[in-house]
Amino acid sequence: MIPVKKHLSTDVLVVGGGIAGLSAAISARASGVGVLIAEKANTLRSGSGATGNDHFLCYIPEKHGPDVSVIVKELHQSMMGASQDVPLSRRFLEKSFDIVKLWHSWGINMRIDDDWTFMGHAFPGRPRIFLKYEGDDQKPILTREAKKAGADILNHHMIVDLFRTRDGIAGALALDVSGEAPSFAVIRAKCVILATGSGNRLYTSRNTPGTLFNTGLCPGCTASAQAQAWRIGATLVNMEQPVRHAGPRYFTRVGKATWIGIYRYPDGRLLGPFVTKATKELGDITSDVWNSSFSDVMHNGTGPAYIDCSDVPAEDLAFMRRAMASEGLTGLVNYMDEQGIDPARHAMEFGQFEPQLMGHGVQIDINGETDVPGLFAAGDAIGNCRADLGGAAVYGWICGEEAAKRAAACELVPEEEAEKDAWLAERMAHYSSFHERASRHGWQEVNRCLQQIMSDYANVGPHHVRSENLLNAGLKYLADMRALAGTQMAAPDAHTLMRAIETLDLMDCGEIIMHAARERRETRGMHIRSDFTFTNPLLNDKFLTIRRERGKPVTAWRDKLTA
Amino acid sequence: MPPVIDETKCIHCGKCADICPLSVFFFRREERAVPEVRYPDECWHCNACGLDCPQGAVSLQIPLNYMLLRIEASQLKQTKE
Ligand SMILES: Cc1cc2nc3c(=O)[nH]c(=O)nc-3n(C[C@H](O)[C@H](O)[C@H](O)COP(=O)(O)OP(=O)(O)OC[C@H]3O[C@@H](n4cnc5c(N)ncnc54)[C@H](O)[C@@H]3O)c2cc1C
Ligand code: SF4
Ligand code: SF4
Repeated sequence: MIPVKKHLSTDVLVVGGGIAGLSAAISARASGVGVLIAEKANTLRSGSGATGNDHFLCYIPEKHGPDVSVIVKELHQSMMGASQDVPLSRRFLEKSFDIVKLWHSWGINMRIDDDWTFMGHAFPGRPRIFLKYEGDDQKPILTREAKKAGADILNHHMIVDLFRTRDGIAGALALDVSGEAPSFAVIRAKCVILATGSGNRLYTSRNTPGTLFNTGLCPGCTASAQAQAWRIGATLVNMEQPVRHAGPRYFTRVGKATWIGIYRYPDGRLLGPFVTKATKELGDITSDVWNSSFSDVMHNGTGPAYIDCSDVPAEDLAFMRRAMASEGLTGLVNYMDEQGIDPARHAMEFGQFEPQLMGHGVQIDINGETDVPGLFAAGDAIGNCRADLGGAAVYGWICGEEAAKRAAACELVPEEEAEKDAWLAERMAHYSSFHERASRHGWQEVNRCLQQIMSDYANVGPHHVRSENLLNAGLKYLADMRALAGTQMAAPDAHTLMRAIETLDLMDCGEIIMHAARERRETRGMHIRSDFTFTNPLLNDKFLTIRRERGKPVTAWRDKLTA
Repeated sequence: MPPVIDETKCIHCGKCADICPLSVFFFRREERAVPEVRYPDECWHCNACGLDCPQGAVSLQIPLNYMLLRIEASQLKQTKE
């Protein structure tokens, strides 16, 4: 059995030190409670915001006018609008300017050209909701602020499970991956905030099918929050709805809105009717509106689609280059330089990437709390309020405040109780079995098999269908694979055990997605059912929730909150 | 081998290994050696190691199958008119 080497306790445990996690930690500390962040890598450079982002979705009254509803509406009409509970997006937007100002005061430049400047993902003639900023050093700066506020940071510790009492959350189990030999840490906490980011490595890479880590968002984010919350009975929402980003091929990286250019067919015709000449003020919005465009043009043979930056003024191209560094794209930019690729001269092919979990996941209430009392969640891992970087920063902050309030008024579970916890013991034995096993079957084989099954039996549009038959077959094969992995996957050291547990989390998510997709007996967005080809208007303002009860998935429809 | 460390520049500080979001390197502080690129297939090519190495000792070797697909933009213009 892998030994338990640490017993820790804290008021608020933050799982994942990305954007949402660091924000939550700072705000919870500001409310005066003890905070511990457990991060599987290092908060200085972890997660999807590792080396930068450059668009912060927010509402700034002096720019947008006094009525927040105008911006709420714009958010709901954007490409991330479908899975939002309105009161949550409203609370997020109302708080967003405070967080923007805080970031600026900490030295993250939120005022390029000395003003609040909105550009990117913008429609001609519509209010703009993305504040352009310079996020190159956001992670080191947020880490410094979290430390300054007095939060403790436990780097190189992956949270592998949560534990609870009947009354609510009790803490979490961490795997210490700082050395070669794994060990566990049991962390008791009055409140836990899940901030583990998006879910990648679920589907076969669209760009480079042989690889696991060529992903648009951080491949170290593997939907832990969804899987772990599910395992202790919390409710998830909108899990069947996929997100697909688009960008260059074959080096997969998000950040499409940082590119300034026009999308064209190979014969030079414009892909969309929105913009004929791109500037830094207004790029081409076509692929936000026509999300499947890059795939459609391949499917019907009129493609591929290119982004043409060659008509963009030189000054704006220089601006784009600077913005790409802020956006965390230096790996890509350096590679382009090495290869002699110059946006002024070369048109780059753009394509859609594989599906991922982002903004579909843990269901929270207006305070960021789940239906397990004391368990909160924020950022890419939540299922009913998506706003990416800005959403993570702002809802992280809200969760920190709310968790601190709750923590101040409740007690830790006693240490003896945690020691006797049957669920924790079972999970430790389960994870230890992979470490103790002599077998050569690594986690990579299991992860690839999961991707094969998801891509064959639970794929998403355009040009792929789901059906009762396919999903049933997929669930059967997933169970078979789980049995194989359960007896044959081996993890000889801490690092490989971390990857193996990530794969187990992803498997749970695959299963949840298939159960939910089966229940959604209609076609909506990229969820295309060959056996239910219509969009059912009766489901327009409904969300599908799913949770686990006595080992079985329970799905339910609820009204989307609109008030 | 995605990240490549220039051994003549490396001062064995361990920064790259500590901050890599994907824990690609293996480094033991006691050994004072160049970090080992132990899990090259798990590199995300985020360039955090390149940005944070105090010696500028790390560069990325992008796999050949990540080739960026492009054409001369003038080709689009010829047909566009
Ligand atoms: C190149 C790029 C550019 C982008 N640009 C923009 C942009 O301009 N605007 C925008 O709105 N969005 C952008 N995004 C998306 C944005 O980065 C994310 O929405 C944002 O980082 C989400 O924050 P988060 O805290 O939810 O997750 P993350 O910031 O990804 O943090 C999750 C953290 O949890 C850790 N973790 C995961 N599982 C565990 C576990 N089990 N135990 C412990 N730790 C764990 C991870 O290591 C990571 O540190 C971009 C993404 C990328 C990759
Ligand atoms: S950060 Fe640079 S100098 Fe430090 S160990 Fe890594 S390669 Fe060597
Ligand atoms: S590029 Fe990023 S993922 Fe790759 S080794 Fe460097 S820090 Fe790690």
